[in-house]
Amino acid sequence: MADYDFGLFSCLVADDSAYMRTLMSASLRAIGVGNVKTVDDGSAGIDFLQLVQSDPMKAGMQNVDIIFSNWQMHPVDGMMLLRWVRRHKESPNRFIPFVMVTGYADKEKVREARAMGATEMLAKPFSVVNLGQRLLQVVNRPRKFVHTSKYFGPDRRRNQREIPPGKCRRKIDERNVEVVHV
Amino acid sequence: MSDAAVEGKTAKVPGVRFYVIRNILKDKASGGSLAPGDKGGISVEAIQAAEAEFNKMAEDYPDWVKSLIEELFENYRRCIDTPEIRHEKVAVIHEIAHDMKGQGGTFGYPLITNFGESLYKCTHKSEQASDNLVELIKAHIDGMKAVISGRVSGDGGDIGQELLESLEHAIKKYSSPDAD
Repeated sequence: MADYDFGLFSCLVADDSAYMRTLMSASLRAIGVGNVKTVDDGSAGIDFLQLVQSDPMKAGMQNVDIIFSNWQMHPVDGMMLLRWVRRHKESPNRFIPFVMVTGYADKEKVREARAMGATEMLAKPFSVVNLGQRLLQVVNRPRKFVHTSKYFGPDRRRNQREIPPGKCRRKIDERNVEVVHV
Repeated sequence: MSDAAVEGKTAKVPGVRFYVIRNILKDKASGGSLAPGDKGGISVEAIQAAEAEFNKMAEDYPDWVKSLIEELFENYRRCIDTPEIRHEKVAVIHEIAHDMKGQGGTFGYPLITNFGESLYKCTHKSEQASDNLVELIKAHIDGMKAVISGRVSGDGGDIGQELLESLEHAIKKYSSPDAD
């Protein structure tokens, strides 16, 4: 397997713990990510994404390739940042891979983040290997995006298994499906 | 980005619209040298370098977590001397505990994660901040102090077991209805 070179990657890390910010950015840089910026909450994350769009020189980044965001932050948490990225009309890129970093391990919380459009989850405590795995997932296994009346985000059906019959299932037939290449 | 079609949460879609996105990240990481379907990895050297960085930071973890324990203690103290804002202080303790439970294991101090998780659970309902709960908070802080001052990393062996048992004892004591 060929080794990737992440030198051209630009990542944004959002965490309200200075220690975790430093840890995450130092680890990403050591893995080879060329450009990492950190912010201390979701609001600062939104400001930064807007700055990248309006003044990339000042932001020090041409674009953001991946967002790694802690969930629980104040005043604007990771879910609100994710919601803005996926749904707000001023979001510079609604398809951006978003890795939600969280101490919440229960299935309900994971479902909640996925329903908002998180690309991957990274549970705390994590190791460098876990971080690297999420990075590889994003690069090696990108998912198409789905837009329905109730959801916009990465396709949650990572494994295309046979879907059992049921009235709540997404209806897939040629009449109501449109495929857009972006 | 041609995402005009996804403008607004309630944009009209025919039923299901799929966006198939070109894998720019793979091209960036591989210099465009990988065929569709081929996958790349992270070099062993890069992982080792990152682990070295990680370990270097882990060495400073006990000093850093001390400041969080002090913060916990300060909030605990306010719970005692200013009962009218106790629920606010318990909510702050709950947040700090959440932070700690996610970090201890990352830096080789799973006992801090254990204590953090337990503290997080028992401070869940800050509005019900009884005197017993405040005592229980104190028991958690004492346990964390012992872990960090004794540099009790990993599971802590016998000392770790003892600390967890004394925490369990405190939980039983302060959770029982006739604790007062």
